[in-house]
Amino acid sequence: METEDSSSENGLLHRKQALYSSLDSCFEIQKEMYRGQQYSQIYFARLHLMRTLLYSLLPNWKPHIHVCTVIGLEEGKECIIVGTLYKHMKLKPSILEEYSKERSATPLVRPHNFMHPDDHLILEDESGRIKVCGDVLLPSVYVTGVVVALHGKETGTGDFWVEDVMEAGIPHQIERPIKSGEDKYVIFVSGLDIGSSTSNPLKFQLLVDHITGHLGDKKEQSIAAKIVRVIIAGNSVEIPRGLLNGQNLGSKDQFTLSEPIKELDIQLTQIAAGIPVDIMPGPNDPANFSLPQQPLHRCLFPSSSAYNTFRSCPNPHLFQLDDVSLLGTSGQNIDDLEKYSDANDKLEFLERTLRWRHVAPTAPNTLGCYPFTDRDPFFVETCPHVYFVGNQEKYETRLIKGAEGQIVRLICIPRFSETGVAVVLNLRNLECHALSFGTEFG
Amino acid sequence: MATSKSDMKGFFKQKKKSGGITKAKAKSSSTKKSLSPKRSATYGSDITQPAALISHGSPDIEDDYDEKEEVLRQFDMNMAYGPCLGMSRLARWERAKSLGMNPPEDIGHLLKAGKVGAECLWEGRV
Repeated sequence: METEDSSSENGLLHRKQALYSSLDSCFEIQKEMYRGQQYSQIYFARLHLMRTLLYSLLPNWKPHIHVCTVIGLEEGKECIIVGTLYKHMKLKPSILEEYSKERSATPLVRPHNFMHPDDHLILEDESGRIKVCGDVLLPSVYVTGVVVALHGKETGTGDFWVEDVMEAGIPHQIERPIKSGEDKYVIFVSGLDIGSSTSNPLKFQLLVDHITGHLGDKKEQSIAAKIVRVIIAGNSVEIPRGLLNGQNLGSKDQFTLSEPIKELDIQLTQIAAGIPVDIMPGPNDPANFSLPQQPLHRCLFPSSSAYNTFRSCPNPHLFQLDDVSLLGTSGQNIDDLEKYSDANDKLEFLERTLRWRHVAPTAPNTLGCYPFTDRDPFFVETCPHVYFVGNQEKYETRLIKGAEGQIVRLICIPRFSETGVAVVLNLRNLECHALSFGTEFG
Repeated sequence: MATSKSDMKGFFKQKKKSGGITKAKAKSSSTKKSLSPKRSATYGSDITQPAALISHGSPDIEDDYDEKEEVLRQFDMNMAYGPCLGMSRLARWERAKSLGMNPPEDIGHLLKAGKVGAECLWEGRV
């Protein structure tokens, strides 16, 4: 599929196109069969996958140090151990507290973050677990589920004193051919929250009109003609859950319940009629709860799913546009990291997940996840060029560079219903800017 | 115990010496192999079913397994292939193969032939 020239012929502007391929097959769970397994299987798959990787990286890091398992540790002997980190958190809510006579410590000022100065890390593999101490591995940075290699020694008290830590690191990236090309834009938007009291339908209509070229003069339309795809990253509707109280719904209530989705379908039809659109489910959307969230069903979008430009995608979503690979989620993974660890900004959480090579390390510990037995689909095989997360407070972006020359554009997409901001990415040079829509007068 | 040594034999009812764990009497036929635990985790010892306890009755568990089952149990217990609960033995073997762990081929053949227990040692008992 080649691009068409966007200069006008006979006064008509043509929209540019980009070659799209979806790599979401690893996130589909239709073929999985639940046999009563527990989460130990996915942890084993993750540990095995990442341990094999870390073992291959050890010769470049510390080639002469002996490698052993937790049970093979000898006191005072310097060695390297590889395992899954578990963070013991005092304030982490536990279902067992309901049954204990004494309540746990009262929450701190920030109840939505469960960190405590007494949190400590434990490294675990199949043979055993050992408490990790030292200043190198900060409990505030790490979360349960990250697989790392630790260099250190066992102390007299039975803890492991860490001298150095190695993470899996940013994976290898397929290089993009360096060619000037032409500007092609991708629009990211999330948190439309149609049906909620905060969403303003006029703002979204403005966005739709801008994308489809119904706004502005020729110059502005020619810019809009360079938009090749729209990605909607979760939380597109807000279903009035107050109606769902366990009783049978009357026809009026059923109508009210389905109104937000119908409105979304109408808007999506307008977009899909002119431009390819990907819609991902988010935490509030009518999709399954645990990750990977499956694509929203076609029957929710009777008119827009008639278009072949309409595509319902899972969360997380991995795809390729021309030669740019993009990976992103609707926000659950980063929001969960924010509850259990600390960072300067959301982009730092994003960068950490890339360096840990795992999109959602806290799954299945504190983030709902399907109990896979033989694979861990959240493992990042190759480095994407664009890594985005939806439903964040504000628009933030950064370009990070890896050790092997990888370049990744990190994007935090803000909630459109609150901010009126969508994100525009230029595929040619990975530059990003915000597109903001306001409806106030004066 | 106040009884003197000579009374010890009278204290416990005598039992026929049959060596090791006795076979249970014929139970109602358990058609579903996966439901009735026919396997014992204690091979060759009577530590869980000492003679004293079964002197008036029969063991709770049957213990008729052959060396094929023994090989498969060792496969279940091997930590390198991950946890065995929640997966059928064949699925676990396939997983070990796809993860590059080179599990022994004869276990694969044994499982595919299908005349052995499909589920792991602890299935239905934990």
